[in-house]
Amino acid sequence: MVSSIIEVLDLVRRYGEVTAVDGISFSVAEGDFFGFLGPNGAGKTTTMRILATLLKKTSGAVRVAGFDVEREPDGVRRAIGFAMQDVSLDSLASGYENLQLLGVLYGLTPRQARARAEELVEMVGLGKVADRWVNSYSGGMRRRLDLAGTLMHHPRLLFLDEPTQGLDPQARRTIWDYLRRLNAEGTTVFLTTHHMEEADILCRNLAFIEHGKIVQQGTPVELKAEMGGDLITLQFQPDVAMAPVERALISALGQDTSVQVLGHSDVHVSGEPLRNYEHDPYAQRVMPDADSIVRSPLSADGRQITLCARHAAALAPRLIRELDAIQVAPLSLSISQPSLEDVFVKLVGRSIMDDDSQLVKGRDPFVEGRR
Amino acid sequence: MSSSSPAIRYPSSVGKVSSEIRYLFVRGLKQSMRPTAAMLPSLFMPAFFFIINSAAFAALTKLPGFSSGSYLVFYAPVALLMAIFFSSGDAGIDLVVDITSGYLDKLMIAPIHHISIVIGKLLAVGLRAAVQTSIVMAIILLAGGRMATGFTGFLIILLLGALFGMAWSAIGMSIALLTRNQRATQSSFILFFPFTFITTSQLPLNLLHGWYRTAVQINPVTYVLEALRSLTSVGWQWDVIGRGFVVALVTGVVTISWAMTSFRRSYP
Repeated sequence: MVSSIIEVLDLVRRYGEVTAVDGISFSVAEGDFFGFLGPNGAGKTTTMRILATLLKKTSGAVRVAGFDVEREPDGVRRAIGFAMQDVSLDSLASGYENLQLLGVLYGLTPRQARARAEELVEMVGLGKVADRWVNSYSGGMRRRLDLAGTLMHHPRLLFLDEPTQGLDPQARRTIWDYLRRLNAEGTTVFLTTHHMEEADILCRNLAFIEHGKIVQQGTPVELKAEMGGDLITLQFQPDVAMAPVERALISALGQDTSVQVLGHSDVHVSGEPLRNYEHDPYAQRVMPDADSIVRSPLSADGRQITLCARHAAALAPRLIRELDAIQVAPLSLSISQPSLEDVFVKLVGRSIMDDDSQLVKGRDPFVEGRR
Repeated sequence: MSSSSPAIRYPSSVGKVSSEIRYLFVRGLKQSMRPTAAMLPSLFMPAFFFIINSAAFAALTKLPGFSSGSYLVFYAPVALLMAIFFSSGDAGIDLVVDITSGYLDKLMIAPIHHISIVIGKLLAVGLRAAVQTSIVMAIILLAGGRMATGFTGFLIILLLGALFGMAWSAIGMSIALLTRNQRATQSSFILFFPFTFITTSQLPLNLLHGWYRTAVQINPVTYVLEALRSLTSVGWQWDVIGRGFVVALVTGVVTISWAMTSFRRSYP
């Protein structure tokens, strides 16, 4: 049996009246690539900072690498590396100087620190610029150097807080490659992100966190299976009136429990509300026997309907026939596997990208930069 | 990709703390002295005030009761005091940059004694204050000033400069830790004006009167300035020099304790 490198039981962290982390429990096996997913303000960073000994918990039990985070912080600190959300480097020092300082502070001799720094700058492709001051580096180069800094002391466990935020796709893929290699060599990785593709590509296990609570855990495959089928997306010409289309589809599929209507046209565009959108325009139960499943409209003009079906390929011709009966031809019909984003929306009722951080900023002292 | 882990040593407490302080001291020194051009304003200001004021107020020496024959010689220690203020005033800014960039968090999760972070930074401030004081002393000598207590007195000036620089820097550091805000920290600069000018910087104490004289006597910086003046312009007045060191030391104990308390409050 693989031992746990992170064990969290009933963890609570409050900032005054606000509960940022609300009684979460989870464990991460040694060697795992674990993703902690949620929108801004969900409690990801707070949890990670508690695990990394940077923040005191309000209650609960947390052990990292076998050490209690508050009673034995030095044991935890020797075992972990932490790449924070914002890259933090001495910009008026060279890449080597940055790495060597971290090395010696972690107990390497200056000679060992230099050797390790040389090895790591080669690994992250900065060998040619490592003697230059960091203020001449691009965002991607800084991120890579920051990552190298977290590896100076060969940590068993690496914490990464939004490690590719703000990077272009190529720089992002480069970081992903490093992380996969590190994990393959035995480093446990604990990643927070609200980038679903990143989590899907990298993580073996995931937890969704929202409003300080874990709403679901599992492997990406297990989580996607929550959707209960594949997605069918129908797109229409801008001049198609969507209300009759929705009525036709819902009445045709209304008795079929293998089909769920997920998203629908934007009622404000079609001008004719079909349902009561009082609380959440997308979180609507549209079938009597199915769970409420939602998805944000993907097209800007709202001329799109998404359904989830256990037998999507078989259903597609039927949809075309139903539409044909009301003399509507879709612009396109596509079938795809659900993404983690779809699962998140189903579980939480909103997109992970819906930025409510402004709302949270006013309530969460940590987000305002206070601890 | 990674070689086998080297044997990481975690030596005994004393050896560990001293090496941590050494590394963080070097880092603090680089941080405060880079880029070199950024140090020029903090040298320019003392030199500017020294050259302008010693010329503008030269006639003050004719006042009855003015003990010094040369206003330039009288004013020289003010330039040294300014060098100390300007060299140590950046410490709070450096710290707030570390806080807002997350660099301090990075240091906090390293397995080091947190006190090393503060001590390393203070020692860097002390050395920078001594270096800038030396440069301003050279400017004073080139402009026709003198060094009444010779090379030994010069070394004592450096010591006093380093000590008072550390004491002064701890105010900026405390504000940085309490506010985590660059503008608030930067605004602590205004303290320089009352603490420098409500002293015997312009005239000797015997020529001051009323509330201003009282304020000058209450201001601890007056005693540091008088110690510097004794060393540069007057000669060995052990009571004045001793008082200057005691005041610098007591100020340091108060301000550094404040910084340490703020540090523990911000990073429990």
